Amino acid sequence: MHKDKSMNLVIPLLSIVLAFIIGMLIILSLGANPFKAMGFLFRGAFGTATNVSNTVVRSMPLIFCGLCTCFAYRCGVFNLGGQGQFLCGAMAAIAVSLRIGAQGPWVTVVAVAAGLAAGGLWGMIPGLLRIWRGLNEMITTIMMNYVATLFMGFVYTKALREGSVPQTAPVPDATQIGRIFPNYRITWGIVIGILVGFAAWYFLFRTSKGFQLRAVGFNPTASQFNGFPVNRYRLMAFVVSGAIAGMGGACDILGTQFRLINGYGGSYGFDGVAIALIAQLDPIATMIVAYFFAVLRVGSLTMQVGSGVPTSVIDIIQALVIIFAVAGSAMMHLPEIKTFFTKLFGKREAA
Amino acid sequence: MEELLRMEGVSKQFGEFYANRGVDFEVRAGEVHTLLGENGAGKSTLMNVLIGLYQPSAGNIFLHGKKVRVDSPAQAVKLGIGMVHQHFMLVEAFTVFENIILGDRRTKGAFVDEKARKKEILELSWRYGLNVELDARITEISVGEQQRAEILKALYRGAELLILDEPTAALTDTEVEGLYSIIDKLRAEGKSIIFISHKMREVLHVSDRITILRAGEKVCTLDADKTNSQELANLMIGRELSEPLYTKVENPGEPVMELCGVSYNKSFKHGGLNNVSLKINRGEILGIAGVDGNGQSQLAQLVAGVLKPDSGELRLKGAKPAVFSPHAFIAEHVSHIPEDRNLMGLIGEMSVGDNLVLKQTDSPRFSSAGGWYLKLGEMRRYSMELKEKYDIRCRSVAQETRNLSGGNQQKVILARELEAEPELLIAVHPTRGLDIGATRFVRDAMIAARDSGCGVLLISADFDEVLQLSDRILVMFEGQIMGEYSGAKPPISEISLAMAGK
Repeated sequence: MHKDKSMNLVIPLLSIVLAFIIGMLIILSLGANPFKAMGFLFRGAFGTATNVSNTVVRSMPLIFCGLCTCFAYRCGVFNLGGQGQFLCGAMAAIAVSLRIGAQGPWVTVVAVAAGLAAGGLWGMIPGLLRIWRGLNEMITTIMMNYVATLFMGFVYTKALREGSVPQTAPVPDATQIGRIFPNYRITWGIVIGILVGFAAWYFLFRTSKGFQLRAVGFNPTASQFNGFPVNRYRLMAFVVSGAIAGMGGACDILGTQFRLINGYGGSYGFDGVAIALIAQLDPIATMIVAYFFAVLRVGSLTMQVGSGVPTSVIDIIQALVIIFAVAGSAMMHLPEIKTFFTKLFGKREAA
Repeated sequence: MEELLRMEGVSKQFGEFYANRGVDFEVRAGEVHTLLGENGAGKSTLMNVLIGLYQPSAGNIFLHGKKVRVDSPAQAVKLGIGMVHQHFMLVEAFTVFENIILGDRRTKGAFVDEKARKKEILELSWRYGLNVELDARITEISVGEQQRAEILKALYRGAELLILDEPTAALTDTEVEGLYSIIDKLRAEGKSIIFISHKMREVLHVSDRITILRAGEKVCTLDADKTNSQELANLMIGRELSEPLYTKVENPGEPVMELCGVSYNKSFKHGGLNNVSLKINRGEILGIAGVDGNGQSQLAQLVAGVLKPDSGELRLKGAKPAVFSPHAFIAEHVSHIPEDRNLMGLIGEMSVGDNLVLKQTDSPRFSSAGGWYLKLGEMRRYSMELKEKYDIRCRSVAQETRNLSGGNQQKVILARELEAEPELLIAVHPTRGLDIGATRFVRDAMIAARDSGCGVLLISADFDEVLQLSDRILVMFEGQIMGEYSGAKPPISEISLAMAGK
């Protein structure tokens, strides 16, 4: 078991190292000095307190989306709809903050709750389709992403549009999620994200329901034979993971972006899938990996300016980390590799 | 008749376990030769050796008297051996025609001469009565047609020897008749067929000769017209009965579970129940004897609350259950040692400790605050206690259950199910795949449960086990109860007759 646990740490770390080595080779082939470029990357992320603050701000939506995937996958539900659920949360939150006819902290609370509910409902639809009709959630959740993205277009070009530019009005000042430190853009949203992460961890590993939910994820047939309501847990996983993403969207729109515009939401949902997979579906590790992704994103801008290496190199590195991490964990299940490690560790134990 | 295939002294070893040991098997040109045996008797392993999926640990294969090496399925195709697997190997999105030419050496180039190919295939299908719509997609055709497509595919690739693995398992009765006539045509054209089955009736109908395998070894080869189903059943099951070890109970307590005229998927002879009535009494082991696949799995799952009867009545402790769910039955102290321990019994990725407390995490003993706080210390202490009590051999209770040996996995299930203080214990193949020590341990535990007043339903393909443990024996055949016998002095020949459906 110690071997299994340590591998959960070794695989992601090794994947990151390997991905960086290849990334630096690519930078070299582009004619730049890879060490210099990495220096810029590092400075861009950690050079000043403002830069550090930017990495934290950037990590907030990634944490929510990573946790969304993490929670669903633990129950064997392959929710790829984090993106759409995130957008629904953001749309509900901004609709509440603009249309409730009031502003202030209590509106913020209502708006976040609305985001949570919207994300949960959006997650529930593919959940019901899976349970009632047996539809594959990998397909339905992705399709629901398009529906959400296009609906968002309607929201910022029509329903909540303000002025000639297709965008919504900003969230009123008093309704925005406040900053923790006046001079930095970090908001209380990150605190909510971290609390959700710890709550998810606690639920999954320290409660009876979480225990049963994981059992359903590993082996639904045995769970059914042992008396667990498999479908109820699956639906719960859909709803809760959607709610987590929705809350993320609410915190992002109310604390960081303030208005819906074209392209809002980037690819947080899919980054979240990658993050959770690299983190081996552990909520705490998911938050750490999410921060790591944010560091790469923020640092890459400085790298591009400083050394002329395009930010897309960082996309390559990110993609490589995912490939190595997923391939690594799959490899650990191969019988040849298993015997190799048993031999290796057997020897060490003997020595 | 001329000999086509001879397998000599074929053994296949997995670790210490022999799936086949010294099997001699021979097929003549133009004959239908059946391999008969229980699940796990080694039929599939032997065929996998023949088609090159496995390399034999010892022994040789001869075709037309010449020694051959079959090191891959592609090699087997070249040698004229074709297999129709129980689960068809067809690409569902392709048409029948595309499936047939898929991977064939004549279609290696970039273009397919569709007309010529189709003509060849149509000639074949006409010759053997294999009617299939060549341009239909696999998803659009029936199971019987899919099977004909598979046979056509094998013939198109030049198979002289066809292996049909449980070909009737998924067919309707009319489709089975159709298959028989196809087999007759193939035989008339000089093709040889290896027919794999454990259904006595069809074996006798279709075969020229029958070879019986038991526990990986060949028992004998018989001519089909000189034997009968009772003899086959006896040979399949074996008669090496051991001395009784346990005392039998004559006067059990009141019934804990009653079935009255229960049916489930009635039209399926192998995989359904037809008007089954039985009682399981407290303090008694009721053994179900029968060849595997005659409704035993369905019976176990019905009694465990996994399946709901289509008709008939089921009474648990004298009352009709309000809901049919494993959860509701577990609450009534029904314990279940399921037939497939890895699929139905255990969460392999979770630890031994987690699996031991699996059903109990909601109880106040292992969690407080309504399940919102798991008492991990108490879970660990309890699982260490059970590890000692049931002699579960693992490095620690935190070890993943899938890494345990089969015997120790079974002990984990046994510990969990018996510690739940069952009033009804359902045990399906409780000792399958276990060594002698573990087998003895499991059987002793079941006897102890009986003696403490628990009603036990034992379903086992191991006839000796049923005789050893049961206080009462019921025989199942094609979803029906064929008869009831006392466990104290069981009339063995009558029971084996009943198992053959007579």
